[in-house]
Parts: sequence; C-alpha cells; structure tokens
Amino acid sequence: MLNPGSGEAPEYIAARIRRALAEDPRTAELGIQVIVKGAHVYLCGTVSSQQCKEELNRVAQEREPTLTVHNDVDVVEAGEPGAPEVLR
Amino acid sequence: MIRIAAVGDVHLGPEAQGRLRPALEHLPEHADVLLLAGDLTRHGTPEEARVVATEFRDVGVPVLAVLGNHDHHGDAVPEVTEALSEGGIQVLEGDGVVLPVDGHRLGVAGVKGFGGGFEGRCASAFGEPEMKAFVGHTIEIAGKLQSALGSLSCDIRVALMHYSPVPDTLHGEPLEIYPFLGAYQLGEAVDATGTHLAVHGHAHAGCERGVTPGGVRVRNVAQPVIRSAFTVYCVEA
Ligand SMILES: [Fe+2]
Ligand SMILES: [Fe+2]
Repeated sequence: MLNPGSGEAPEYIAARIRRALAEDPRTAELGIQVIVKGAHVYLCGTVSSQQCKEELNRVAQEREPTLTVHNDVDVVEAGEPGAPEVLR
Repeated sequence: MIRIAAVGDVHLGPEAQGRLRPALEHLPEHADVLLLAGDLTRHGTPEEARVVATEFRDVGVPVLAVLGNHDHHGDAVPEVTEALSEGGIQVLEGDGVVLPVDGHRLGVAGVKGFGGGFEGRCASAFGEPEMKAFVGHTIEIAGKLQSALGSLSCDIRVALMHYSPVPDTLHGEPLEIYPFLGAYQLGEAVDATGTHLAVHGHAHAGCERGVTPGGVRVRNVAQPVIRSAFTVYCVEA
C-alpha cells in the first residue's frame, strides 16, 4: 500500500526516518520506534533529555517535511532507586 | 552482603549535565561500588566523556565502567577513556579489578561485548570477510572476558559488559534485532568462570532480569529499563 501523504510505501518512509534519527549527529538515537500511518509519523522510545526529545522532531520533520510528526518519546527518569534486589 | 549499584546507557552530553547528580549524592548509603554498563556518552567524544567524568566524580564509592557502542562512535576511545579516568572512573576492557568490601573481595571483569545473536539463531564466521570480521570481534571479546573473569582471585565475581550475554533481558526489543544486541559467547564466558552476576546495558527496550544457560543471574541496567539513576543488587559473599 502506498502512503497517501507521499505516494510511497510507509515502511520505506519509516525506515528512512529511523536511519536519520540514528545517523544524524543531532540525534544519534538508535532505539526510537518510528511508525508511519498516512500523513502522520509517531515516534516512541526513551531519550536522556528534553533537548534530545526535541531534536528528534527537528530531524524527522526535515527528513519528511510533508508529514505530521507526533513525538510520544519519554525522557528517562533519574531518581533514586527503590529497594535493592537481594540475590541468593 | 556486597551492595552493587549499576546503571547503563546514561547517554550524557553537555545538555544533560547534572541530571543524575541529585540521586548520586546518597550513593554510599545504598552501595559499595558503582558499575557503569556502557553508552555513557551519545557520540563518544572526549567533550561528552568529560561531562560523564564530572557527573560521577567523588560519588563516595569506586566507579568501574565499560564502554558501549556510542562511546566508540567518535573513534576516540583512548581520549574518552582518559577523560573518564580523570574523573576517577576505571574503564575495563578485557581486564578486571578486585575491591575489598566489608571483609570480602569483590572481583569485577569487564568488556564492551558485541553482537552476533544467540544459540541456534546466530551469525557464523563464514563467507565474506565482513562477516568473519563481525563474528571474529565477538569471539575475541568473549575470550578476553573469560580470561579476565577467570583470573580474578575473589569471593564474589561479577561480569560487566554493554552487550547482552542472554536473550532473556532483550524481551521487549524486536526479535529481528537480537543479533545486534548481544551474543551467546558472552554468556558462555560467564558460565565457564564461576561468576555470580552479569550486568549489561544496550537494550533500552528490554527487561531487567534474566539468567544464563548455566544459571547465573543477568541484569539489564539500561537506564530506560531501570527507570532510575541506578539500581542496587545485594550479593551474599
Ligand atoms: Fe544505549
Ligand atoms: Fe548501546
């Protein structure tokens, strides 16, 4: 099935965005899941800062300017841990 | 009880400086040692490594680390290692260290590790030179891990790596990428050496707990998995 947004299979668009997010030095994120549905791109995963999260939008949007990017990525939690695990 | 704190994949850069520091202020109350399971930086630059060094400087317990694939990305491993050392972080790659803890000897050996996959579904050193080099890298590293673990004279033996030694802790990751996330040869090295615990990172979408075929506990401490600044395992000596 071709993507109504661009006339291309959505799998190829997703693969291209995913590679851009990994290889672009502004993001360098290998673990972001990219889903393309019609004219919409959904990003999921976890990054280390709010700034990293915002860079994902920029890089994905530059790669596919005609699609709408939805950024559902989490910023990692860095609080103190709960109870330790005892290994016997 | 030896208390081992661990975290991987902190992926620090100048934009995230200080993010872990509030939780680290109380580290000595929780743990006797801190293990960093690789991917300390985002691009493997000396500048980012200096951020990591500042983040973990003077935390009150010894800090041991291995590098991850991100820490190799900038092709500056010696400079990255040097910057980390200046912050008091001891980087392990095919070697180990024995620390006295509470009257016992804690031994930790570390390697980056590499991919290749797991029993029955793994890459073989066959065909193109690129494939042989890929698998050869894994085999070489697993051999180094085995000899480093074996040479530790200690009461509790811990293996620290970035890539996973088992598929268990990858659950949550797409099956198709398992061969890029770890290799069974790392688990073999753990099982051959009387190791008590193996700690790794790299699989951000994986899960925390697993076990090697030989029955050694494996923990994936990638920060997105443990969802805290570090986690603590208590091991009876
Ligand atoms: Fe990572
Ligand atoms: Fe990694």
